[in-house]
Amino acid sequence: MVVDPLVRDALIYASTLSMLSLGLTLTYLTTKVPNFAHGSLATIGSYTLLTFAAVLKLNAYYSIPAAFLISGCTSAAFYLLALRPLINRGAGLLHQMIATIAFELVLIASLNIYADFLTRTYRIQSRDVLMRRFDVQIEGVGPGVLPASVIFVAVTLTALVLLLHKTRFGVAMRAAIENPMLAGTLGVNVKLVYLFSWFLAGGLAGVSGVLLGLHYQQDPAFGSRMLVSIFASSILGGLSSIYGAVLGGYTIGLLEIYGIFQLSRAVGGWILPYRIIFPLLIMAVTLLVFPKGLSGLQLSAITSRLRRGGG
Amino acid sequence: MDRCVIEAEALRSAYIFLVNLLALMAIYLIVNLSLELEYGKSGIPNFGKVLSVAAGAFVAGSIPGRILGSLFNVYGGISGITDPVVAECIRGLSPQKPTILERMDYIEDNVVIVTCVNRVLYANPVLSVGILLMTLLVAAAVGAALGLVASYPALRLKEDYLAMTLLAFGEFLTAIGYYSRDIVGGTLGVSVVDPFGWVGGELRFLAATLIIAAVAGLIVLYVRLVSRSPLGRALRAMRDQEVAAEVLGKDTVALRRNVLMVSSAIAAIGGSLWAFYAGGVIATAYDRVTWTFLPWVMVILGGAGNEIGVLLGTSVYVTARMLIDQYKGLLEPVLPFSVVWLDRLLMGVVLILILLARPQGILPERPVYPLGRARIRKIVEAMRSRSSS
Repeated sequence: MVVDPLVRDALIYASTLSMLSLGLTLTYLTTKVPNFAHGSLATIGSYTLLTFAAVLKLNAYYSIPAAFLISGCTSAAFYLLALRPLINRGAGLLHQMIATIAFELVLIASLNIYADFLTRTYRIQSRDVLMRRFDVQIEGVGPGVLPASVIFVAVTLTALVLLLHKTRFGVAMRAAIENPMLAGTLGVNVKLVYLFSWFLAGGLAGVSGVLLGLHYQQDPAFGSRMLVSIFASSILGGLSSIYGAVLGGYTIGLLEIYGIFQLSRAVGGWILPYRIIFPLLIMAVTLLVFPKGLSGLQLSAITSRLRRGGG
Repeated sequence: MDRCVIEAEALRSAYIFLVNLLALMAIYLIVNLSLELEYGKSGIPNFGKVLSVAAGAFVAGSIPGRILGSLFNVYGGISGITDPVVAECIRGLSPQKPTILERMDYIEDNVVIVTCVNRVLYANPVLSVGILLMTLLVAAAVGAALGLVASYPALRLKEDYLAMTLLAFGEFLTAIGYYSRDIVGGTLGVSVVDPFGWVGGELRFLAATLIIAAVAGLIVLYVRLVSRSPLGRALRAMRDQEVAAEVLGKDTVALRRNVLMVSSAIAAIGGSLWAFYAGGVIATAYDRVTWTFLPWVMVILGGAGNEIGVLLGTSVYVTARMLIDQYKGLLEPVLPFSVVWLDRLLMGVVLILILLARPQGILPERPVYPLGRARIRKIVEAMRSRSSS
């Protein structure tokens, strides 16, 4: 028995979205700036996959570590070369956000230039390119990217929990997020923690890009278009907890693919173009009703409120 | 003889280059000034600028064509058409697609409808100008309504949450316009009726450019006047010291709402004019890089808070982009990629360098003298002479 294609599409999308919003939340937790270029970091991964599979003719999954490193280093380089000097000069939050816009412009341009380069030099299609043929087929499951994306989430979460709770560096990281001043005084290298979070966020985005590329048609703006969903997932997650971000990513991702399809069966196909309404609506409701997001919700408070009959 | 031809060709291409340069500069100046009003004067970080620009363009792509179509009754078949020119034109085009004689759909038969309606517009300057003004008014109204909606989060959210929210909602129209065929033709786009065509052939682009430049000039004047007025001082007070402004009796809620409504209306007018100039609308052209990020680059580059700085930033970017485009014939054989990405790459790098080296922009904000320096000097001199006597 092969997994229902709709469930498969939704799971792959939701898993990668949750890892992307985890990364965005991680950099927001440390440097307090929303990264407008986060989506394009994933597209770097997709083009690493294309390079590995179509140019180097290697197994598609070998591109995962490479994509992790390339996207991670790109992200870390932005932090080192642009963001940290700006913070040192006392630039305000707005100028830091604009720096991430500059980063996005550079990434979009570079990805397009690279796509042109691939086409002109190796004569391979590099826009609107579907890479499912490079994936492995698993008996009884379907394409390998489905278990791969679920395993990716599980491994990342396990590794993060172990890192944050069982290692000295992880404890230092939590301290630096909680109170950077105090952590700094106690000898935690806060800047190293920040650098590491930017690297990790970029790396996870790169791997997400590989997995997205194995299933969804890619062009240099693919990740950039996902930014709305990434923001919505992170805001739903509360922007204060990486677990909240994962939960937010799954909620938005499943709704965006599975939810809209079920809705279209109920109300008619005219609804399908309005898929973007889901992340926007959830974002608006979150900001209006529980601005601290899922991770700010206290279950006991909600149940007691319900018992009192709402209000 | 040959030299004459070559010189005439060179002059012609220089003329086309200048007209296009001026048009793009004027459009970006309109959009950038609306951002200047929001961010430079009032401190509202609007990262969803593309929303109102797209709204204006979509209005131009979907409303005037449909209205003129109903005016001439083109949808119900050839027999009901009121205008002989339109009927003649449709009959002329019908061999390619006979069904247009029976009935037409604005999106499906967009090219036929726009072509035939344009024939009437070319012969009727009054109708052309009327349809242009009506579209700009509707665009401004839609823009103002979107500004009103945007003011809701703008009053409540912190800077970073606001930036993310406005960016996300900015994608709304572009995404729907792309996936839904009914608004501006989805992936194929639509043609826009031509309200400048009556000027005649060659001069059409020049006339359109001059009209857009005149609108841009009016908006520069408006922003300067606002900046010097008590309203401008209230906005700067709100931007720099919100609590102080409130304590002194300024209603910052109303100020923010009004600024967003006016600036979104301005940006929508810019979007409409661009659609008319280009003669077509396609949703993919209204992406956040082109109409949110690049305006931010130009405002920051030139100097937020200073209209002349914004003018400078706009000129620098548009000139660089047009020059790259003009010389792509020279660059393309050397580079292994399409040069269209070169300006984005350069702008990204320049923006980071500007933020690091001169975050206030090339021309920083300067104190505004509400009366003009000459009159202030006169008052000071009068005071001096009074105190010395």
